[in-house]
Amino acid sequence: MKRYDLIIVGAGPSGLSAAVEAAKRGMRVIVFDENDKPGGQLFKQIHKFFGSKEHRAKIRGFRIGEDLLKEAAEFGVKVVLNATVIGIYPQKEVTVRIEGVVEHYKGDAIIAASGASENMVTFDGWTLPGVIGAGAAQTMMNIHGVKPGRKILMLGSGNVGLVVSFQLMQCGCEVAALVDAAPRVGGYGVHAAKVARTGVPFYLSHTIVKAEGEDHVTGVTIAEVDDKFQFIPGTEKHFEVDTICLAVGLSPMSQLLKMAGCEMEDNPRRGGQVPVCDEKGRTSVAGIFAAGDVSGIEEASSAMIEGRIAGIAAAEYLGYMDSGESEQAIKEQEEALEGLRQGMFAPQNRGKHIETTDEGIQISESLLKKGYIGDDEIERYPGVRHTVGIHPVMECTQNIPCNPCQDACPKGCISIGQNITSLPIAVEGTECVGCGMCVASCSGQAIFLVDEQIEEGYASVTMPYEFLPLPETGTKGKGLGRDGSPVCDAEVIKVQTAKAFDQTHLLTIKVPEDMAMKARFFTF
Amino acid sequence: MCSINDRSRDIGEYIPAPDDDMVICRCEEVTKGEIRRAVHAGLFTITEIRRYLRAGMGLCQGQTCARLVKGIVAAELGSVPAELEPASSRAPMRPIEMEVFGNERIG
Repeated sequence: MKRYDLIIVGAGPSGLSAAVEAAKRGMRVIVFDENDKPGGQLFKQIHKFFGSKEHRAKIRGFRIGEDLLKEAAEFGVKVVLNATVIGIYPQKEVTVRIEGVVEHYKGDAIIAASGASENMVTFDGWTLPGVIGAGAAQTMMNIHGVKPGRKILMLGSGNVGLVVSFQLMQCGCEVAALVDAAPRVGGYGVHAAKVARTGVPFYLSHTIVKAEGEDHVTGVTIAEVDDKFQFIPGTEKHFEVDTICLAVGLSPMSQLLKMAGCEMEDNPRRGGQVPVCDEKGRTSVAGIFAAGDVSGIEEASSAMIEGRIAGIAAAEYLGYMDSGESEQAIKEQEEALEGLRQGMFAPQNRGKHIETTDEGIQISESLLKKGYIGDDEIERYPGVRHTVGIHPVMECTQNIPCNPCQDACPKGCISIGQNITSLPIAVEGTECVGCGMCVASCSGQAIFLVDEQIEEGYASVTMPYEFLPLPETGTKGKGLGRDGSPVCDAEVIKVQTAKAFDQTHLLTIKVPEDMAMKARFFTF
Repeated sequence: MCSINDRSRDIGEYIPAPDDDMVICRCEEVTKGEIRRAVHAGLFTITEIRRYLRAGMGLCQGQTCARLVKGIVAAELGSVPAELEPASSRAPMRPIEMEVFGNERIG
C-alpha cells in the first residue's frame, strides 16, 4: 500500500489550495481527481473574479486555476487524474480506481474537497434531451468548445444562471429568457445588468410549466407563480427554444465523508448533507478535513481560502507546524475569508430581502425584478456624477466584496475606501484621463466612461465589450438602453484592445447628447 | 425512535396527483406516483424506498434524483427533507465495472 502524509480528494480550487499549503510545509501530498483535467470548476470560469487583490480579483477564473496548478507543481504535489476515489475506510485507507485497477493508498491525513453536483427540478418533459444543467452547458462551451444549443431558456437567476447566460451569448447562443420562481434576482445586480442590457428579458416569479418536444426540446412554456409557488392560470408564456438550462443550486458531494464515519448534518443553509466541521475544516474524525463546496456551497474564491486553511490545519495535525505558527497562518486566511463574506450577499444574509445599501441608498427594485436599473433610479448612486469632459460612471449599486476599480485608476478618481463592500464613489476634484483601466478592471462590467458633450449635440459612451465579432471604428448600429431596448442610433468611434485589459475590449460609441446616461450597449 | 419514522402515525390517504406519471429516477425509471404510493404503503425511509423501488440505485447512484426523492418522501410525510435520514454511503462511490472492482492492487 502506498503511503502519503496527506491524501486530497478533488483537484478543484479548494483541493489544490490545500495541497499547496500542506506541501509548502514539507508534507508529501497526493491529489486524486476523477476528471481528465485538473482545476475543478475553475477552468470553466472565463469571467473575471470579484474580491480584492488578495482574492485575485479581476483575474479570470481559469487563469487562477493555471496559477494554482503551477504552484502545486513547484511544491512537489502529485496530482493524479482519471483517478476516482471510491471509498474511505478506517485507518484512513483510501481506494482509488485508476484505469482498470482499484489501488489502495493510506494517508496520515485526508482532505475531502470533492465539490458539489448540480440540482435538478422536475416539470413535464424534464427528462427530454435538451434539458441540461447550467454547469453542463459551461463544460460544453468552455472546456470542449461545443455550443450547447441555438436558443436557450435559463431557469435560475443566481450568479450561476446569470454568468452562464452571459457566457452562452458570448459563445453565440441566443438566450430567449431568464426565469426564476423567486420574486427577486438572486445573484449580483451587476451580473444581471450585463445580461439585461443585451436584451434578454427577465421573468421573476415565473417557472417552467412544461418542456415540449417529441425526442428533444423544441419549446418551453413558463407561467407566473403566486407567493406559494402555485401557477397562476392565464399567465403562460411560450418560447421556441432547443435547450433549457437549469441553474437551481448545487448539492455537496459528501458521501465519502459519511462513509468515513464523519458526523453529518442536513443543513439547508449549506446546500444539503454536509460534514459537521469546525472553522479549520476539521470533521469529527481526527485527521479528516473538508474544504470547499463539500462542506457548504459557496463560490470558488472562498473555496480556495477554505482549502488553504484545511491544508494548514492538516500540517499542524501531523506536526509539520507548531500550533503558534499555524494559528498565525490560519488567522491571515480567516481575515481574507471574512473579507469575502461581507455585504448583502454574505452567507448570513442569504434569503433576506435587503432594501437599502449600507450607505442608506435604496436598492433598485427594477434591478431585482427586471435585471436592470431604471433610468430614473441611476442618479441616486455615488458612482454616478456629471462633470465636464470624460469621466467614469460606476453603475455598481449593491454592497458586494469587490474593489479592483479603486486600484485601477491611476488618477484616484474612484474610491471604495477601507470597507471592501462599500459602493464606489466618483471622487470630486480629480481628473479622468480616459485610460479605461477602470472599465476593464470591473468584474461586473458596470463601469462606463462618459463624455457628455464631445461635440455639439453628441456624447460618447465607452463600455466593456466581450463579444465577437468586434465592431470597427465607423461601424454604425443602435445604442441599447439598460433594459436592452434600442434607444438611439450610434456609431463606433474607438475600439481599444490592450494586454492590460485582459480580453475586455473597450468600445466607444457616439450617441445623441441626451443618451449619454442611457445608452449602455451597442448592437449592429 | 425519531418521530418521522413512527409508523403508527396517520399520514392520510394516498391521493392521486396529475404529475404522478413524472419520471423521477431516470436510471431505474421510477415515477413520482410510485414513490408517493410507497410512502403510503409504509416505507418511510430513503433506504427502504431504495430497496423497494430501486430509485437511486441505478447507473448514476442517485446523483440526480436523491434530492428529488427525498423531497417527495418528506412532503408525503408532512415534513422537510432535512428531517429524513439520508441513504447509507458505501463503496464503490461511483459506478464501476465488476472486472475493475475485482482487480484490486493492495500491496
